[in-house]
Amino acid sequence: MTVALERPAIAAAKPARRRFSIGVVTPYLQSAPLALILGAFLLLPIIMIVVVSFWDYDFASMYPDFLTTNYSDVLGSWVTWKTYLNTIKFAVVVWALTLFIGFWVAYFLAFHIRTTAMQMVLFLVCTVPFLTSNIIRMISWIPVLGRNGLINSTLVHLGLVPKPIEWLLYSEFAVVLAMVHLYTLFMVTPIFNTLMRIDRSLVEAARDAGASGWQVLWNVIVPLAKPGMAIGTIFVVTLVMADFSTVQVMSGGQSASVALMMKNQMSLLQYPAAAANAVVLLVLVLLMVAGILRVVDIRREL
Amino acid sequence: MTYEKRTLEFYALAVFFALFVLFLYGPLSAILILSFQGETGGLTFPLNGVSLHWFANLFERQAVGDFGGSFKRSLVLGLMVMIVTVVVSLLAGLAFRQKFRGATALFYLAVASLVVPSIIISLGIGVVFQQVGFRPAWYTSAFGAHLTWTLPFGVLIMFAVFNRFSPAYEEAARDLGASSWQTFAHVVLPMIAPSLIGVSLFGFTLSYDEFARTLMTSGTFNTLPLEIYGMTTNVTTPVLYALGTVTTVFSFLVILATLGAIIYVGRRRTRA
Amino acid sequence: MTNTSKAKTGISRRSLLKTGAAAVGLAAGSGVITGFPTIWAQSNITLRQFGTGVSNLNAIADKCKADLGITLEMTATDSDAAAQRAVTQPDSYDIADIEYWICKKVFPSGVLQPMDVSRLKYYDELVPLFKTGKLTPDSVIAQGTAPHTVGYVEAQDSKTFAKAPTNWFTMVPTIYNADTLGIRPDLVGRDITTWADIMDPAFKGKTAILNIPSIGIMDAAMIMEATGNIKYADKGNMTKDEIDKTIDFLIKAKQAGQFRAFWKSFDESVNLMASGEVVIQSMWSPAVAAVRSKGIACRFQPLKEGYRSWGGGLGLAAHLKGAELDAAYEYINWYTSGWVGGYLNRQGYYSANMVSAKKFMSDDEWGYWIEGKPAKSEIKAPDGTVMEKAGAVRDGGSFEERMGKVACWNSVMDEDRYMVKRWNEFIAA
Repeated sequence: MTVALERPAIAAAKPARRRFSIGVVTPYLQSAPLALILGAFLLLPIIMIVVVSFWDYDFASMYPDFLTTNYSDVLGSWVTWKTYLNTIKFAVVVWALTLFIGFWVAYFLAFHIRTTAMQMVLFLVCTVPFLTSNIIRMISWIPVLGRNGLINSTLVHLGLVPKPIEWLLYSEFAVVLAMVHLYTLFMVTPIFNTLMRIDRSLVEAARDAGASGWQVLWNVIVPLAKPGMAIGTIFVVTLVMADFSTVQVMSGGQSASVALMMKNQMSLLQYPAAAANAVVLLVLVLLMVAGILRVVDIRREL
Repeated sequence: MTYEKRTLEFYALAVFFALFVLFLYGPLSAILILSFQGETGGLTFPLNGVSLHWFANLFERQAVGDFGGSFKRSLVLGLMVMIVTVVVSLLAGLAFRQKFRGATALFYLAVASLVVPSIIISLGIGVVFQQVGFRPAWYTSAFGAHLTWTLPFGVLIMFAVFNRFSPAYEEAARDLGASSWQTFAHVVLPMIAPSLIGVSLFGFTLSYDEFARTLMTSGTFNTLPLEIYGMTTNVTTPVLYALGTVTTVFSFLVILATLGAIIYVGRRRTRA
Repeated sequence: MTNTSKAKTGISRRSLLKTGAAAVGLAAGSGVITGFPTIWAQSNITLRQFGTGVSNLNAIADKCKADLGITLEMTATDSDAAAQRAVTQPDSYDIADIEYWICKKVFPSGVLQPMDVSRLKYYDELVPLFKTGKLTPDSVIAQGTAPHTVGYVEAQDSKTFAKAPTNWFTMVPTIYNADTLGIRPDLVGRDITTWADIMDPAFKGKTAILNIPSIGIMDAAMIMEATGNIKYADKGNMTKDEIDKTIDFLIKAKQAGQFRAFWKSFDESVNLMASGEVVIQSMWSPAVAAVRSKGIACRFQPLKEGYRSWGGGLGLAAHLKGAELDAAYEYINWYTSGWVGGYLNRQGYYSANMVSAKKFMSDDEWGYWIEGKPAKSEIKAPDGTVMEKAGAVRDGGSFEERMGKVACWNSVMDEDRYMVKRWNEFIAA
């Protein structure tokens, strides 16, 4: 700002007309790169997927056509429903856990740590593991949870359990654990962000009015943190819904997810079937997000 | 008045936080320990002696795959994605400060970009490139695929920043005769610099780590995550863990540098 | 390198590397390479090859550069991604290293061109298994997508497979092998003789099979038939009814908790076994060797029903022409000229041209790996690690004994749509 102040007023009076005409075009120019990139790499591919999902295919290749059999195959099979149910179950469990953990961690950072520097440092401590490759982070659970892994050998050694606990690895528990580990930061960050913006005088005012700590938390802080929770929810839910590698690796291939089902079809080059599956998944995820957006208008409250 | 209660809550939450950090770092510490595995040791416990063998091995030629080349590609791609993400989301953030036709649609398109499952984007871009006859490569199709993932993050962050950005500063600067470019460069930019650093960090990391979106768009050569995955089709060794350890340390350094940059910018601002 | 005696193995390998490096240096300096045509060094030809990490070995690229001057850019992928890339990104490679079962789908999609047999220098020496389906003239042709059934097309521009050998070869085999159950002899505690033993309640929660639909179902078929539940007309091409029965059987076993996990990559199978998660599972021979090299007892157990076999091959991308096509032929001829064969054989796989490979293996190595004789001295892997001590005999015996007892090949079925659908059911159950 100083710099700006020190500068002599060269362009004292720009013609108002020019500013006006540029002003109208500016937002279009500024948003053009975003629109172009998303158009080319998001809209076009999705349109393509939708188109392909109506195509016919045989053993080796696919043919342009307009068939609805791909959809009737997808929607008419109980496997699809069961798999969707299973995926949604993962999404709900992981969402509840990450929300719970994410909120308290963010709350602790925002309201109990006094200095901004310390807040920053602790927050960054949370982010470092997220910079390590997802694949490596996922694989790293295997030596911890395995039959002869860290946890089991410790438990057996201490005499707490007579023999290793089997369900630690290659189970739905392992899948949920790994997902919580992989995705919690996506919840912590937006909640932390909104909590930091809460005007502290609101909390003081509530206290002065005689509200207990719990009441302040429940009636003041949580409602104000909703936009952050909504954004975090969008992140976590979409990540879990689209996951295939975590489910595959951590369940030892014993558990299904929608994306895994698609991958199995793709592995035998049945693209139209996979595309139909993709469209169904896409519609479902978009509906879920639309639901969240109805509850919280993130655009206004960001 | 609630001093005692707050300390209790503080300690309870401090323990919770500590447990959370332990949870985050627990499996990473397994990687850390196993990366010092002896020469004959495998990917799981027990340790067969302790050595630095796998760190040295990281810089040697592997039986399969090429760490050096794929790391270089991932690094360059990450930087490309980072720069484009920062510039494009900053521009979009500025655009959204005014009303323009299609603003809402564009905003929801960005949200959709975040929401569309990665594997679908990957499949879609792969098919489009094939049908159009373009040659997919990590710096074209995979680059675009990564942007669909990093841009919404950038746009949402810039959106949040400008939602809370008082136009008073700019008006003041303009009243003092600064051109719009000067206002932007000397008033707006320094104020949003920390957020831009955040966006760039996000952009780089998300791209560096992206797997599903690269799967069908990478063309001839693999990025690092694909290479790691491909390497597991042959005998893999604790060299993977050594890589994990090295990346984590590297991330630590990047974060420290970022922290330093934010503090530096902050100081400059307070001094100004 | 021919018939190197045991004591000199290490040294000769090192000197070989040196020679290789010198050759590269020489090539860079003057363009002169001994033994092979010099044109490639000057024209600076690069071939891009992709495939699974099983056969996309850097050592082969290094040696290829040294011998031919052709730069081979290798990209390793997992087997799913390999099939995807072959079909959806045909411009991204010059040489495709894919498995025969998926070739049944990849080749008809038109991304590969067949090879002119007359340009393949070592065609006559290739193992007959890939030409007629018979290892020896009197052996029985195994079920499934046997390589010879997708080995030829009718004409240069044809996409339909020929019933009998023609002049147009689809792929030159890289590596192949016969899979069976791998066991931990120290933990199994009894003799394993049949595929059905994996269903023994004693091993509940300690077994695994493959998680690639087309291969996993073949494992299941071997098990099903061994338990006497069903007799398939062709395991590799089941009817809907047979698929139903097989998947129902798998679902029941899964729900009873018989399986610990389903593995997808080489590495997973090694880790499952090495960490004691499973004691009996469907396994590859080199994976067994990898477990054993960690000092853990593991056996590649021959079973009375025979083996489930698989193989991969090199195919030429459809877009190759001119000098690049010539280089690709040159590369493939070099690939089958012996060095690569010896290198692959020493890892526990089998190579396409056994005649030439023999010249690049010591008598002891040849005896151990191919003839099933006891090792006279330590058997070492290409990277120098000791794989077997003197006196060891290879599980399953000789090449003929193993590849002669193949019951079926990994396959893509005509009913593959239905199969994947039911396979997804199995995973979801």
